Order: sequence, then C-alpha cells, then structure tokens
Amino acid sequence: MEYTAVLNKREDKDIMEHDVVGKRVPNVDSNVKVTGRAIYASDLNLPEMLFGKILRSPYPHARIKNIDVSEAKKLPGVCAVVTAEDTLKINYLVQGPPFDDKPVLAYGKTRYIGDEVAAVAAVDERTALRALDLIKIEYEPLPAVFDPEEAMKEGAPVIHDNRPDNISARTERNYGNVEKAFAESDYVFEDRYVTQAVSHCCLETRASLARWDSNVNLEIWSSTQSPYFVRKELAHVFAIPPTKVRVHQIHVGGGFGARSKVCEDEGIAALLALKTGRPVKITYTREEELTATRIRHPMIITLKTGVRKDGTLLARHMRIITDNGAYTHTGPGVQGVAGMVAASLYRVPNVRVEGYLVYTNKHFGGPFRGYGNPQATFAIESQMDLIATKLNIDPIELRIRNANQPGDTTACGWKIGSCALQECLERVREEIKWEEKKKNPVPGRGIGVGCMIHASGFKVYLDGEWSSAIVKVTHDGMVEVYCGATDMGTWSKTSLAQVASEELGIPVDLIKMITMDTETTPIDLGAWGSRTIFIAGNAVKMAAAEAKQQLLEAAGKLLEVNPLELTIADGQIFITTDPYKKISIGEAVLASKERVGQAVYGKGHYEPEAELLDRSTGMGNISEAYTFSAQAVEVELDEETGTVKPLRIIAAHDCGYPINPTAVEGQIEGAVAQGLGYALMENHSYDNGRVLNDTLVDYKIPTAMDVPPIKALMLGYEPKGPFGAKGVGEPGLVGIAPAVANAIFNATGVQIKTLPLSPEKVYWELKKD
Amino acid sequence: MNKSISLRVNDVDYKVNVENNWTLLELLRDRLHLTGTKKGCEEGECGACTVIMNGEPVNSCLVLAIEADKAEVVTIEGLEKNGQLHPIQEAFIKHGAFQCGYCTPGMIMSVKALMDHNPNPSREEIIVAITGNLCRCTGYTKIIEAVESLVAVNEKDS
Ligand code: FES
Ligand code: FES
Repeated sequence: MEYTAVLNKREDKDIMEHDVVGKRVPNVDSNVKVTGRAIYASDLNLPEMLFGKILRSPYPHARIKNIDVSEAKKLPGVCAVVTAEDTLKINYLVQGPPFDDKPVLAYGKTRYIGDEVAAVAAVDERTALRALDLIKIEYEPLPAVFDPEEAMKEGAPVIHDNRPDNISARTERNYGNVEKAFAESDYVFEDRYVTQAVSHCCLETRASLARWDSNVNLEIWSSTQSPYFVRKELAHVFAIPPTKVRVHQIHVGGGFGARSKVCEDEGIAALLALKTGRPVKITYTREEELTATRIRHPMIITLKTGVRKDGTLLARHMRIITDNGAYTHTGPGVQGVAGMVAASLYRVPNVRVEGYLVYTNKHFGGPFRGYGNPQATFAIESQMDLIATKLNIDPIELRIRNANQPGDTTACGWKIGSCALQECLERVREEIKWEEKKKNPVPGRGIGVGCMIHASGFKVYLDGEWSSAIVKVTHDGMVEVYCGATDMGTWSKTSLAQVASEELGIPVDLIKMITMDTETTPIDLGAWGSRTIFIAGNAVKMAAAEAKQQLLEAAGKLLEVNPLELTIADGQIFITTDPYKKISIGEAVLASKERVGQAVYGKGHYEPEAELLDRSTGMGNISEAYTFSAQAVEVELDEETGTVKPLRIIAAHDCGYPINPTAVEGQIEGAVAQGLGYALMENHSYDNGRVLNDTLVDYKIPTAMDVPPIKALMLGYEPKGPFGAKGVGEPGLVGIAPAVANAIFNATGVQIKTLPLSPEKVYWELKKD
Repeated sequence: MNKSISLRVNDVDYKVNVENNWTLLELLRDRLHLTGTKKGCEEGECGACTVIMNGEPVNSCLVLAIEADKAEVVTIEGLEKNGQLHPIQEAFIKHGAFQCGYCTPGMIMSVKALMDHNPNPSREEIIVAITGNLCRCTGYTKIIEAVESLVAVNEKDS
C-alpha cells in the first residue's frame, strides 16, 4: 500500500522534473530506418516461398456463372489456383453480424470492379500473372448503381439480397428536443455538404506472407496496424482457434487506418499457403492499392442548426448519407462517429442524427485517420463560419462562446475531462495574427479556422477496450517491454519506451521494445482510434510500476532500509538521503524473492473507464479522454486559375503533455499534410464504377511543394493519461479541410460546400457569383 | 532473353545475368537482395526506389537492368562507412525526419545526390530536390529541417 502512495506522488510531481518523458528522445528504430535495414512484409522471403496474385472482377455487378481454372492449373510453375469453392464460405466479421458481408473470395456475385474472385500461387509473380489470364470466368453482368442517393430509390439494383433497400445500417439518435429548440432559435441554418472518396496511399503497398505448419498453425507476416484483428479474422474464416494464428512483428510502411482491420490479401495468402503447403507472399501493385483497398467513406451531409442571436448553439440536426461501397467494412462505426461528433463538438444540447449507410457498386470504405470525424467536422465547421457571418460575430469568438469546457457532458454522454479548446483557439488567433489580418485584408488572401474533438481510444467493440504489457527487468540491468501495441510509424515504440524508462528510473537506451507479435506479447487491440499512447501507455506504466516495486523491496532488504527511502535513477538504486549507499538494478533483480529465473516481471492491463454506446439511447462515454484542436490556415488564391495555395498553418492541439514532442509534432505535421490533400487535391473519380485515377500519376497526394510551414502547438494536460498524455494520431487531419474552405470564404465571400477544393471547382464557384 | 552485365553497387563489383525486361529495382531487390531500396509504385512517381547511378539520382523502377551495365550504383546500404552513419542519416535521426520509414531510403538518396552537387542548397532547392519523393507520413516538415541543419553545418565549414 505504502509503495502505491509513493508511486502516486511521483505521478503528481511537477511535469518539468521528468528525466525522459517530455524529451526529444530519438526514435528507437532510427538505425534500421535510415540504413534501409528495416524489414517490411514485401522484403521478406522464406525457403520454398511462392508468389500469389489475385484475379478481380472486371464488372461492377455480375453473377458468376462458371469458373474454369483447368488451363491455369496446367501452366508450368503454377502450384495452386483457388476460388470460393476452396474456402469455407465464411465471411469476415469486421463489425460483426449483421454487417459481415465480405467473403474471402466472391461467390454467387461480384459487387465492384476489383472484387476478388480467384487467386494463383506460382513460382514467381510473372508466372502467377500469366496464370490469371488463363482462368476463364463466365459472368452475367447485372445492372449496377454508383450513387448512394440513387441506390436508396425504389427499384434500384439490389446489391445484397438481404438488404433490398441497399441500406446496410441506419443511425437514428435523438438527444434533447430538437424541434422545440429549432422553434426557440433566432436563426436556423440548413446547408448541404458533400465529401469525396480518398485513399490512404501508404507508401508501402500491401503485402503479406503466410505459411502453415503440419499442426495447422498459421503464421503470417503482414503490413498491419492490428495483429489482434488479423488473428481474430483469420481464425474465423478458417474456423480454427485464434491462438493457432500467429501474427508476426514487422515494420509497416504507413497505415492511417487502411490496415487496422483485416485486408483481403491476408486471407488469400493464407488460403494459397494452405492449398500448396508452402509459404505464399502477396504484394499489391499500386493500382490494386488504389482500386481494391479501403477508402474514406464519402458522405452527403445535410446540416440544420438553430442558434440564438448571441451565437449560442441550440440545436443541430445532421442527416448523413454515407456511401458504403460494395461491402460493409467499418461503415456503421464510421457513420456512428460522425453522429457522435455532431453531438459533441461545441456545447449543443439538442441534437438529432439520422444516418443511412448505403451500398453502391464501388470499392468500399473503411477506417481512415479520423474515422467519420473529418466528414462531420467539414460540415459543422464550414457552417460555423456562415453562422458567424450572418450574426456578425468573429468566427473565433463564435467558437469560443460555444467551446466545450472541462467538466461538460456532451449531448451523447461524452464526459469531457481535460479540455483546452478555448486555449487552442486563443493561441491560433494570436499566432496567425488574426486580428491584424482581419483589419488589413490583402486581396487574394484569406484566413480560416477549423476545430475538432476526438476520443483517445474508442470503446466500440464487444471484445472490450484494453491494452496490456509485461515489463521484464533482467539481471544485467536491461529492460524488455512486451507490449502488443503496433508502431506503423507513429513512434509509439519510442514513446512507450520513454514511459517505461521514466517509471523505472532506467535509461531509455537500456529499454528494448518487443511489440506486436500475437504469440509472444500480451494482446493489444491495435493502433487505431488514437488509442495507443493513452491506453498502451497506461498499461506499460502500470507494468513498470509493478516491476519497480519488486526491485525496491529487494533493494530495501539488501540495504536494510525501508523501500520508501530509496530512489531509482540512472539504473542505480540508492538511499535518497545517502546516494553513496547504492546497489545496481541487477543486484536487486537477483535478490528479489519474486524473481523468475534471472528477471523480475511487472504486468499491466489497462482498461479505460469508458462505456459502450447504449443502442437504445445513443448515450455513452466511449472514451476516458478527449483531444481537441484548433487550426488556422492562411491561403493565397489565384482567381484566374482557381488555385489555392496554403501559406502557413498554425495547428494547436490539446493533446495533453507530449511524451515525445518530436513524435507528437510529427503526428500533427503529417496529419495536416494529409488534411491538405483531402481539402485541396485528392478525389477518386469513376466511370461506371471503374476508378479512373488508379496510379500516383493521376491520384495526386501532397509533395514537398504543396505543404507550407506548419507550426504545431502542444497544449493541455490529462491527469488520467500516462504522464499527462492524450491521443494525437488522428486529430491533426480533422479540422484542416474546413479551415481551408473558411479561408477561401474569408478571401472571396464564397463558401464551397463540396470537397476537394480543386482549382477547377474553385474557379467555377467563383465565376458563379 | 537474358544478358550478362557488370556493375558496381556500393563499391562491390557484380557480374549478373539479367532478363531484358528486368528493372534495376528488381535486380537490386530480388537478385542482389538489397531490399533497402523500396518499391512504392513502379511507375516513377513515388521516389521510394531512388538510387544514385553514375552520380545522378534515378528512379530504379524506370531504369532497365541492362541499362545499368558498367554503371556505378549507390543505394541506401552504401551510405554507412565503417560503422559510421552518413551525416544525412544522422540528421534524419536527430530531427526525427521519418515515421514509417518507407520513403526514407529514397528520400536520403535524393538528398545525397542534391548535396553531392550543391552542398549548401537553399530551402527552395531542397524542396525541388525531394519533390519526386513522396512521403505520406511526415508532411515533409522535419525532412526539410534535417537537410537545412546540414546546410548550416556546411556553411560553417566553408
Ligand atoms: S517505385 Fe519507383 S518511383 Fe515509385
Ligand atoms: S515516413 Fe512514411 S512515407 Fe515517409
């Protein structure tokens, strides 16, 4: 008990006293990442390995009448050709029944151009590709539908037989009394906002390598953000217990949500490996990556908002039509988050959310940094500037008047603990010289702001929400941290090593991170939902505290003092008042009565105090902490060409105390750049369901020339976070698109309500007036 | 059809038989097992496959292996000398100029090619030099900072 008191006290100590936390510690993977030695899934080769390739549907909607693989099988070098008949015809779970509609390989019908129909394993990729040409499939093309509003109409082609109305999921939430509040409002605004389909564009295309042993154990190396979900899904579709699937640690070349659930190549590589008895590797081409992996769900959002003259928000009604694409991946969750954001960004007591997740014959949506939040926030934050203009209130002032504050509970039950939204707004106002620029406008230039709220981890799965870690301190004074958290480039390994180091008093370079291997590390749900630093961070901190307690007890015996009188620093344990009386960590380990072999072990399992959403009321405090941001953008606009050039961005985040400022800035800067792509240039275009921009030549993402200087401000402190930290992986992207749209509005008086704000669109929209 | 070519990669001489349609990227990754050079698009758009060939940065996915006959090639694996990282690598570490690290080898090779020719590039010159190297993670901010820090050092030296 007494030790706990000591540890608690340490938690509370002035944050400036930290040795490692809050410091710009270099990335723990630095050396392998700058020398080319980091191994990604596509770099791996195993003895006997084969190469897999996938045959995809050329039709957006078609009945499969017959598949003939006999010629393909005869091609020398081909070891297996598989179709749905080789599978158990069990669908992936993703968000669970009734949304489990995606099989490993299509049977009966194909539902989009790119749908996986068959696959080949061969001695090399070229042979596998040649074999795909030899597979003969007889299709009966069916009428298809590509627009969600068309798909909702009576008589539209039915994509899944069990959903005759093409609606996969409906969201209906009512908080407070919206109708009454609209009646009491001085002004009611109603606007329609439309967002587009964009791709994650991880620099590494997808890759996975699978093999089975003779005891039906499956091993897979995959570019995934969540070994937990890959294991769960593969076990499900092969009908084996989860622990028979081992997902290995490997570097991941970008994630952003694209890889936070199972991906098709994982199941198919495993299937080919099972058929051939040999390891099989599948590496996607960029074209496959852009046409047959997840996208950000496009949404059509009608937003109705009631306000008082003084700017007080009284009511919001958000109607969302979400383009699900051909299958339901995380659409229900994405739409749900958009609705929760509508009920939580700013103080707005009466909220109605109406959502329709609609099937279309196109590649389908999934998680993407922000998970429904960027779409909802684009609508809310764009409309805030229309409200501000109408009421003649400064846009930042309007936001401050309505800002969430610590201690608030939002309409859908989010309990706001730490909250520095107002401070974020005040800081960006100052840093971008808001007042000065408003007073002295420069023709062709504009400034705009966008805010957001996001959770630090979402309790949304029935699996629960937790993270766990084991901290092992060895006889030579080294530390191994076993933690299932995934680092797809977010620096979480580095930040978690800092947490362990700080808690233990052992230098960070003596800490070895052993992450994401489902057989050797305790389980973690993965790197999504901005959850890692908050949840895994707390788990690592708990585990380190437990190991430390064992060390202090052993050292107290050896030095004949009360453990409370001891300090651990720089890898030594000494009497606080008499630092010359000391022993090494190793000596304490070997003296510990709790040691196992030559090590002591501390364990940590952290479950945030959060609730699942109550389906009937739509209420639920789904996270233990919420992150806020306010971002200001200055743009320069060329009316002749419609080109919008961002000049500078101030990105203020209430992300709590940054465990590693370099890592946090990196998350913010990268998210802002991705947000600029979303705002200004990225957009999938289609011809009858065929993705037209299927190369990086046509699908442009921001280059070094497109990103202006970004100033990241890290504010706030979250008492429940490890050393005061909150999640920051997604937030930086969310407010950028509306901030840019608002800057254009500020410069021209024209608000453009559809994304992206491409030169062509801006040109024509300005011409209209 | 295949052909025997000789080339020097990271100070090692190789004589290899290559198919006519192989790219330099395939030769490096699949035959010489130098997987530090990355593949992001195979169409010359992402820069992940950048190597230095005869002193110039090239997208190795656009160069045929047979075109590399008699060439001198430097890849990311060739930068570290005697256990000592190259100053560009050190700067990337110091400034945290990578996240997932997938663009990093190509990015570093583009920066090396730039600085071999122009040790004190301006911010604009740095941006132009890395414009062909896409990075989806960092927003380029820390990459540019890392290169600028080297310029400051070079200027002090001269
Ligand atoms: S792989 Fe060569 S430029 Fe992308
Ligand atoms: S660090 Fe991931 S693409 Fe650049």
